[in-house]
Amino acid sequence: MLNDLEILCVAPGVSGDEGGAAEAAEFLLSPLGEVTRTPLGSVLCRMKPARAGLPHVMLTAHLDSIGMMVTQITDKGFVKAAPCGGLDRRSLSGARVTVHATGEGRETLPGVILATPPHLSDGKSIPPKADRLVVDIGMGAEAARRKLNYGDRITLDGPLTPLLGDRVAAASLDDRAGCAAVIGAAKLLRESAAAEISVALVSQEEVGSAGAATAAYALAPDFAFAVDVSFGSTPDDRPEDCAEIGKGPMIGFAPILDRTLSRRLTETAQKHGIPYQTEIIGSRTGTDADFIAVSRGGVRTGLLSIPLRFMHTAGEIAALCDLEQTARLLAKTIEEGLS
Amino acid sequence: MKHLTELARSLCELRGISGDEARVREFIAGELQGGSAQLSMKTDPLGNLIVVKPGQAPGKKIVLFAHMDEVGLIVSYLTDGGLLKFHPIGIDPLVLHGRRVRVGEGGVPGVIGAKVWHHLDSSERDAALKSEGLAIDIGAATREEAAAVVSPGDAVTFDEPFCEFGEGMLLSRALDNRLGCVLLMRLLLSDCPWELTGVFTTGEESGLSGATAAAYATEPEISVILETTTAGDVDGAPADKVVCALGHGPVVSFADKGTLYDRGLFSLAFDTAKRLEIPVQTKEGVYGGNEARAVSRAGAGSRTLALSVPCRYLHSGSTVAALRDLENAERLLLALIGPLAAL
Repeated sequence: MLNDLEILCVAPGVSGDEGGAAEAAEFLLSPLGEVTRTPLGSVLCRMKPARAGLPHVMLTAHLDSIGMMVTQITDKGFVKAAPCGGLDRRSLSGARVTVHATGEGRETLPGVILATPPHLSDGKSIPPKADRLVVDIGMGAEAARRKLNYGDRITLDGPLTPLLGDRVAAASLDDRAGCAAVIGAAKLLRESAAAEISVALVSQEEVGSAGAATAAYALAPDFAFAVDVSFGSTPDDRPEDCAEIGKGPMIGFAPILDRTLSRRLTETAQKHGIPYQTEIIGSRTGTDADFIAVSRGGVRTGLLSIPLRFMHTAGEIAALCDLEQTARLLAKTIEEGLS
Repeated sequence: MKHLTELARSLCELRGISGDEARVREFIAGELQGGSAQLSMKTDPLGNLIVVKPGQAPGKKIVLFAHMDEVGLIVSYLTDGGLLKFHPIGIDPLVLHGRRVRVGEGGVPGVIGAKVWHHLDSSERDAALKSEGLAIDIGAATREEAAAVVSPGDAVTFDEPFCEFGEGMLLSRALDNRLGCVLLMRLLLSDCPWELTGVFTTGEESGLSGATAAAYATEPEISVILETTTAGDVDGAPADKVVCALGHGPVVSFADKGTLYDRGLFSLAFDTAKRLEIPVQTKEGVYGGNEARAVSRAGAGSRTLALSVPCRYLHSGSTVAALRDLENAERLLLALIGPLAAL
């Protein structure tokens, strides 16, 4: 699991430009079945052996990560950027980034997000506005304009770092952790005769789930399980809206989710001694599940979430055991038959 | 002698917040010892490294100061849930959230984090950050797990690599003030014929403690502070708030929030730079401060000059400087010693 996660996390894949992450996904999925790429950049894998008459189950997580894109280069060579996805703006001042430049040389360029000096901010430590994100790449306008293109994506620097126990930090655990768990489940189901299984690692979740909506249309599954990340508790947060890191996947209960599937996940966890927590959502889930459930004539959809701390920063933290247990719970639930 | 950039890299990669400068001091002492048999060195009670370079040419007693400490955090408390609370030393909380850090002697990796963005209301999202709302996560699930590897009092540094980037730029968490240390080390290893005293000081970022004691003990007639200073040449800054800019040469100050500098030394520095066609600039505005505040008034006082390398994003994990400003600072410093000694 850690090995797969590393392969996924090291690849760039900001929303709308998931090519790097898609290649990593294809590398990991190709031993499991036939792999294709959709027009919007999602990676689909139809697993073998598939037998007629079995329910078709879609396992999905999103490939894209939050980041930024180049909108303008100023006459002094500063790079103005727009957010891709809901960046935690409090984490941006002075953050290291990488510009994935597509102009001359196609270089990956180090940069720093501007931290306004105190004499320019009246001493107020206020996060930058979303329309005032500026990256310093240490070069003049002439060189910058040669090397960069409009729309070039910018990733937050946050390498995968092992912490104590089995916890890890990385910039794009949302949702490469989910991708690794889905791939883990697919590996466990490799010989399964319980269902026809397709894996969809999809683009553009952070900007409106176009990848999931189109992947679900293409696959036309009977059932879907989405794996995303959700809020790992911190001491000052609302405990009812968070889960503990390391204590198992969160089984989602929400109006749009299939209640039978949510219960089935719970029962399977109990039966096999898989630790789990619940996530009760009163509205939309805010994940790809919302869009998959209404694909074509409707898809019965379940949601598992991996508890994650510091979401949408360069230092997201998760526990590997939660990824493992997510994969196990998915595999056991499918193995025991959906109908 | 090591190339400027390589020496800067070696110094910047050492971890040393205020009160925890030993690694930096040992490196500097080792390099100086290996570079010259002439230098005499001692470490004073506050951890300052005081180096005397003998010289034959007669002149005023010149003492140069460069602080070894960098900004960072100190662990203050371990929570039941295994998070580390901390006090910042010289750092604005604005640049902390989401940053990777190293904790304590062992350099335990961690992440500084806060309550998740999605659970903040709009006023909280745009409010000033406070260090009370932040904590370091090292992956511990309980206080006991954390206590096995870290303790209150442990020093915390940003975990960001040194790198060269863009067009001749340097990027590191610790340019302030390892660049000053680079300048002083290379001066002490140069063939400059005047006697010089160089002090690598402690505790600048936490209140100038090292410089206060070392200036008293070394009794300078002329004091030179080797530093970094805030450049405001960033996008969106009005022209009158730029103060100084990268690539325009070293900065010689006439005044800052702590010191009104010696007028004669200020002019001498500019005249020397002009004569040798070395780019130089001043701070256009009265901002910031450095060890000159303590040094100029120590003992019976000394005439004081500050020579700084301009840096963007000072006191963050990502300070940026131009290599050519460091090179020109070195040229100007070497050229100034003779005229200063002759005063």
